[in-house]
Amino acid sequence: MLSFMLRRVGQSILVLLVVGLVAFSMFRFVGDPIDNMLGQERTLEDIERLEQQLGLDRPFPVQYLRFLEGAIQGNFGVSYRQGREVSEILLERAPATLELAAVSAVLAILLGIALGVYTAIRRDGFVANFIMSTSLIGVSLPTFLIGILLIYLFSVELNWLPSFGRGEVVDLGGWTTGLLTASGLKSLILPSITLGLYQMTLIMRLVRSEMLEVLRQDYIRFARARGLADRTIHFRHALKNTLVPVVTIIGLQLGAIIAFAIITETVFQWPGMGLLFINAIQFVDIPVMAAYLMLISVMFVAINLIVDILYAFIDPRLRVAGK
Amino acid sequence: MHTYLCSAALVAVLAAPAFAADFKFAVTTDPQTMDPHAVNSAPVLGFLNNVYEGLVRRGKDMSIEPSLAASWEPIGNGEGWRFNLRRGVTFHDGAEFNADDVIFSYERASHEAADVRSWFAPVSSVVKVDDFTVDIMTSAPNPIFPDSIANWMMMDSGWAEANGAARPDKESGNYATLNANGTGTFRITAREPDLRTVLEPFGGWWDTAEHNITRAELTPIQNSATAMSALISGDVDFINPVPIQDITRLQQNPDVNVIQGVEARVIMLGFDQQAGAAESGQGASDLFLDARAREAVAKAVNVPAILQTIMRGNAAVASQLVSPAMRGFSEAVTPYAHDPEGARALIEEAGIAGSTVNFKCPNNRYLNDESVCQAVTSMLAQVGLEPVLNAMPVQNYWPELRADNFDMYLLGWSPGTLDAEHPIRFLGSTPNGEKKLGSWNFGGYSNARVDELLPRIQSEIDDGKRQKMLDEVATIISDEVAYVPMYVQPLVWGARSNIALTQRPDNFFILRWVTVN
Repeated sequence: MLSFMLRRVGQSILVLLVVGLVAFSMFRFVGDPIDNMLGQERTLEDIERLEQQLGLDRPFPVQYLRFLEGAIQGNFGVSYRQGREVSEILLERAPATLELAAVSAVLAILLGIALGVYTAIRRDGFVANFIMSTSLIGVSLPTFLIGILLIYLFSVELNWLPSFGRGEVVDLGGWTTGLLTASGLKSLILPSITLGLYQMTLIMRLVRSEMLEVLRQDYIRFARARGLADRTIHFRHALKNTLVPVVTIIGLQLGAIIAFAIITETVFQWPGMGLLFINAIQFVDIPVMAAYLMLISVMFVAINLIVDILYAFIDPRLRVAGK
Repeated sequence: MHTYLCSAALVAVLAAPAFAADFKFAVTTDPQTMDPHAVNSAPVLGFLNNVYEGLVRRGKDMSIEPSLAASWEPIGNGEGWRFNLRRGVTFHDGAEFNADDVIFSYERASHEAADVRSWFAPVSSVVKVDDFTVDIMTSAPNPIFPDSIANWMMMDSGWAEANGAARPDKESGNYATLNANGTGTFRITAREPDLRTVLEPFGGWWDTAEHNITRAELTPIQNSATAMSALISGDVDFINPVPIQDITRLQQNPDVNVIQGVEARVIMLGFDQQAGAAESGQGASDLFLDARAREAVAKAVNVPAILQTIMRGNAAVASQLVSPAMRGFSEAVTPYAHDPEGARALIEEAGIAGSTVNFKCPNNRYLNDESVCQAVTSMLAQVGLEPVLNAMPVQNYWPELRADNFDMYLLGWSPGTLDAEHPIRFLGSTPNGEKKLGSWNFGGYSNARVDELLPRIQSEIDDGKRQKMLDEVATIISDEVAYVPMYVQPLVWGARSNIALTQRPDNFFILRWVTVN
C-alpha cells in the first residue's frame, strides 16, 4: 500500500512539473508585459532596463527554473500589475472562490440528488418530465449566458438581487466571508446558481439513471413483496446503492467547479482567483498567471490522488496489478 | 425678493445634507497604484486627481487654473517659472504643505524609478526661494511648462520618508502603493486593489466643495455587460465607458443618462517608411516609402462611412494628430477627402496595383479597433491593393510594431500635455534614443524641417509665432501623409439620471464636480 501511494505521489509531482513547463512556455504567446507597465512616455532604454530587471530577456528554460526555485520556497514573486506578493494576493482572493465553489457544490449536490430521486420515482409524471426537459438547458447553455440571463431577470428587471460583487464581507482573521451578512448572502445566490447549474443537472441525470437501474433489481422487488413502505425502499435500499458512482463524480467535479469559476466570476465581477487570473492575462502579469495555474493543477492532481487512493481502499483489485 | 432669496438659501442648506449621498462608480481598469509618481497612465492619474493635487490643475474646460500654487510667473526671459504657493494648505494627515514638499515631490517624480520623469526633462533645477516660493528653472525657455505639470502631484516629504516611500517603487511596491496622503478633495479610507477603493471628503480641504458626496466607492468592473446591468439596476451610479453599441439602448432608459463627448485621442493609420524595411521586419515591404502610396490610402479610406456604421455617428473626423480641443490645434490643414478614383489613379501611377499590404491592428486597445481595421481593409481592396489584416491583442501588438513587422498599422494618440507639440515629439520626430524623440514613431517617418522646428516650438514664448510653426509642421505632416488621421475617439459615460457631473476630454472623472440629486 505504501509503495502504491509513493508511486502515485511521484507521478503527481511529474505531472505538476509538466503542467508548469507547458504553462510557462505558453506565456511567451500571451504577449509582452512591458508596455502595460511603462507609460506612454517611455523610451526604448526604459523598455530594455525593465526587461532586464524582470529577467524577461533570459531564455525561457532559465525563467522556468527561476520560477520553480522560488515556488519550492513558497515565493511566487511580485505581481507586475499590483506590485504586491503574489502569494498575498492569492490568499486574499481564495476565500471568495472557495466560498462560491462550496455553496455551488452544496446546492448542486442537494438539489441534484433530490431531483434525481424524484424524477426516477415519478418517471412518467408531468412534473418529472418538465424537470428533465428543462434540465437540458442547464447542460446545453454556456455558463456566461446563464449568468447574464439571471442578472437581466433578477437584477435589471426585478431588482431583487445585486448584479455584481460579493456584497459586504466580514473578516475572520485572514478569511473574508460573505456568509454572515445579508448583502453577502444575497450576492451569493445568482453566481452560485450559475456555477452550480451544470453540475446539478449532471448529478440529477446520473442519480436518475442509476436509481432507475437499481429499482429494477430483484432485491427491490423482494422488498416490495415483503410489504416495506415505499419511502423505506426508495431511500434506505435504492438510494444508498445509487450513491457509489455519484460520489466519484462529485469528487471529480469539485475541481471543475473551482476551475470553471473563472467564467462565473467574470460575469458577476466576483472578486475571486478566477477574476484575478483573467485580469492577469490582460495585463500579462506572468507571476500571477504562473502561480494560479500551478495552484489549480496542484488541486486537480491532489483530488485525483485522493480519489485513486480511495479506490484502492474500496477495491483491493486496483492496488497495482500483479501484487 | 429678499425673503425669497433667504428662504431659497435656507432650503439649500437644509437640503444639502439630506441629499448628500453615497456615490458608487465603476471603471474598467482599477488604478494599479495609489502612488502618483510611479505610473504614468490615465486610470491612475485620473483617479488620483481626486486625492492629490498639483501646483496647477485643469478646470472643467481643461484650462489651467491655480491649485497649490496661488500664482506663477515666468522668470526673466524664460529662464524658468516662479510659483507662489498657497498658504494654509494641509495634507490629509494634518501636515502643512510648503516649499520643501515641492522640492521633495520634484526629486521623487523625476527619479529614475518614476514613470512620470519625462515631464521634467526640460527642468534644470528647482530652487526654494522661501517657504512659500519655488523657482523651477528650465534649460531652455518653456512656455507651456505650467500646462505640462497639471498631473504632477504633491506628496508630503515627512509622510513619505517616515513610511519608507521616499522613492516610487512600481516593481515591488511600497507604502505609497496602497496608501495615500494628498491635499485633495477626498482622502482614501479603504483600499483593496482590484476590489474597491473608498473615498471620503477631506474636511480640511482649502477650496470650497461643490460636490455633495459623503462617501464614494470605486469598483472595477471589466465585463461591459456586467457594468451595464449594474448601472441600469442602480447598483452603481456611474460607469465608464459605455460600449458604443449600447448607447441607443441606454438612451431609451429614463433612469439613466448617457454623457458623450470627444476624447483627446486621435485614431490614425501609420506606415512603414524606412528604406530597407523589407529586411528588418517580417512581411514588411518598401511599399509605403513612396508618398503616392500613402496618399492613395488617405484617399481610399472613407472615414465618414466608418464613423456612421462602426461608431454609430459618435465620433468626429480628425484632420491632424491632435483633436480641436487641444492647445496648438492647426486650422491650416483639413481632413483628406474620400476619393477612390484618385486613389486608384495614384496606385496605377506608382505601379503598386495588387501589392500585398501587411496591415497590423490591435483588437482590444481602442473602441471597436478591429472592426475599423476590417473596414479599412475592404476600402483598400476596392482601390486595387491587397491588404492582409492581422488583428491581435495589444499585449502582442506593441512588440510586433517594435520589431517592424508591418507595412501599415493602427495607432491612437492622446497627448499627455494636451498640446500639439506632444505628438510631434513622439510621432513626428525622427526616432532618436539619445534625445528621447520619436519613441512611438514605429514607421520611422523623418523630415528634417520637422526635426528642426520641434525644439523651436518647445522654447517659443510668443503664442503667435509658436502657432505659426505648429501650423507649418501640421502642413508638412499632412502633405507628406506621414500618418492618416481618421477620427477622434468618442468618450461615452453612463450615469444615473439623478447625477450631475462634468466630462473632460482627458477622460478624467473628477469627483468634486459630482452632485447627487
